[in-house]
Amino acid sequence: MPGLFEGFVARHRKGVTLAALIIVSLAFLLVSNRAVVIKPKEVGLSFVGFFQKGFTGFFKWFGDTAGSIRQLNAAREELDAARAKVQEMDRVTRDIVELRRQNAMLRKQLDFSQTLPPDRIACEVIARDSDNLFSTITINKGSRQGVRPGMPVVAYQGDMEGLVGKVFSVGPGASEVLPLYDPQCLVSARLDSTRDEGLVKGEGKDHGTVLLQYVKKTAKDAIQYGDLVVTSGLGGVYPKGINLGRVRDIRALAYETSLEIEVEPIINFDRLEYVFLIDAESALGASGTPGAAGTRGAQGASAQ
Amino acid sequence: MNRDIRITLFTVFALALCILLQSTLLNRIAIRGVRPDLALIVLIFVSMRRGSMVGQVSGFAAGIFEDLMNVSPLGFHSLLRTLIGYLYGIFAGNVFIDPFLMPMVLTVIATILKGLLAGIISAIFNIASSGFITFTGRLWIEVAYNGVLAPFLFALLGLFRIFKQADKEAT
Repeated sequence: MPGLFEGFVARHRKGVTLAALIIVSLAFLLVSNRAVVIKPKEVGLSFVGFFQKGFTGFFKWFGDTAGSIRQLNAAREELDAARAKVQEMDRVTRDIVELRRQNAMLRKQLDFSQTLPPDRIACEVIARDSDNLFSTITINKGSRQGVRPGMPVVAYQGDMEGLVGKVFSVGPGASEVLPLYDPQCLVSARLDSTRDEGLVKGEGKDHGTVLLQYVKKTAKDAIQYGDLVVTSGLGGVYPKGINLGRVRDIRALAYETSLEIEVEPIINFDRLEYVFLIDAESALGASGTPGAAGTRGAQGASAQ
Repeated sequence: MNRDIRITLFTVFALALCILLQSTLLNRIAIRGVRPDLALIVLIFVSMRRGSMVGQVSGFAAGIFEDLMNVSPLGFHSLLRTLIGYLYGIFAGNVFIDPFLMPMVLTVIATILKGLLAGIISAIFNIASSGFITFTGRLWIEVAYNGVLAPFLFALLGLFRIFKQADKEAT
C-alpha cells in the first residue's frame, strides 16, 4: 500500500505539489480571513454574483459613455453660466480674505490658547501596496514611535488639512495605513453646511470619489455642490471636524430612503509624501471629552 | 544543488525584488494609480521556460512574501501566483516565444486571468479588495501596462543563463 502511494506521488509529482500548495494557500486564507463564507449556498451565491456584477458593470459602461456625451453638451451651457458666477465669486473671495485677516487678529487678541492641535506624529510615506488589488500606504513609524492601530491619519495639501485614513496594522518600525478610498474604510461624517450626518465609504478608486451614504432625502435641496464634508466625531475613531472632501454629485435613488452623495476627497493621494498621525488618546486625556479634542483638532486645522 | 532548486531560489529572489520595486519606485510611473506587475511578467517568463514545478513553487513563495507585506489576507497572492505559475508551466517548451508578440499576448492573458481569479477569490472569501473589482478601468490599465513592458522584460530576462529553456522531459 505505501508503495502504491509513493508510486502515485512519483508519477504525479507536479499535480500533487499543486494540490498541496493550493490547500496550504486556502488554509491560510481560511485562518487569516475572519469574514470567510463557509456555507455552500452562500459560496455559490458569491460565485454567481461575481459574474453578475461583471456583466452589469460591462453594460453600464456603455450606458455611461452615451450619457457622458449628453452631459458634455449640457456642461458647455453650464460653463457659460459658471463664468458669469466666477466674476461674482471673485468679489466674494476678496471679502473672505479680509474677514480671515480680521478673524486671525481677533483670535490673537483673545489669546486663544486652546486652538493648539492635539499631539501629532509626523511620518513619511515609504511604500504603497505592491499590487493594484489592495490599497495600503506604508509609513516609516511604528510601535517604537508610539503608533497604535486605529490612529487617524491626516495630511496637509494646499492650505487645507484632510483625512488620509487610519492606521491598520503596526510593526516595530513601520505601519500600514488604510486610506479613505479603501472599501473597508468607513468614517462617520457630516455636511459642514447643513450638519446632516452620514457615513463615508471608500469606493476603491484612489483617483475617484468616496461615497457619503445614509443622509436623509429631505436634505437634498439644502445640499449644494462643493459643500464641505467633515468628520462627525461619532464612533470615537476620528476627531470631530477633520475635512474629508467636497460634494461632487448628489443622487436620490427611487428605491433608497437616503441620498447617495459623491464626495471628492480633499487629499490627492498621488501626491502624498508626509502624513500626521493624531494621537487622539492623549488629546482626549488632556481635555476629558471627545468633542473638545475634535474641536481643537478642527480649529488647529483651520488655523493652518 | 539540484538545478531546479537553484532556479526556483533565484526566481523567488527576482520576484521578491520586483514586488519591492512595485511598492516603492514604481509608484512614480503609476498611471492613474495603477502600477505594472513586474512580478507577474517574471513569473510567466520563468514558467514558460522552466515548467510547472518551478513556476508554481516560486509563485507560491513570492505570493506568501507579498501577502506578508500587504494588507491582503495570507494565502491570497500565494494562491493567485501558484495557479498562474502552474498554468503557464504546462505550456513550457510547447510554445514558440518570439521577441515581441508572444510576450505581450501571454502577459495580457495572464493579467486578465489574475483579475478574474482575484475577483472569484474575493467573492468567495468575502475579501474587500479595492483594486480591480474586475472589468473596471484599473484592470485594463494594468493589462495595457504589463503588455507594453513584457517584451522588454522578456528580452532582459533572456540574458540570464540560469533561465535557459528546459528540456522537454524536464517540463
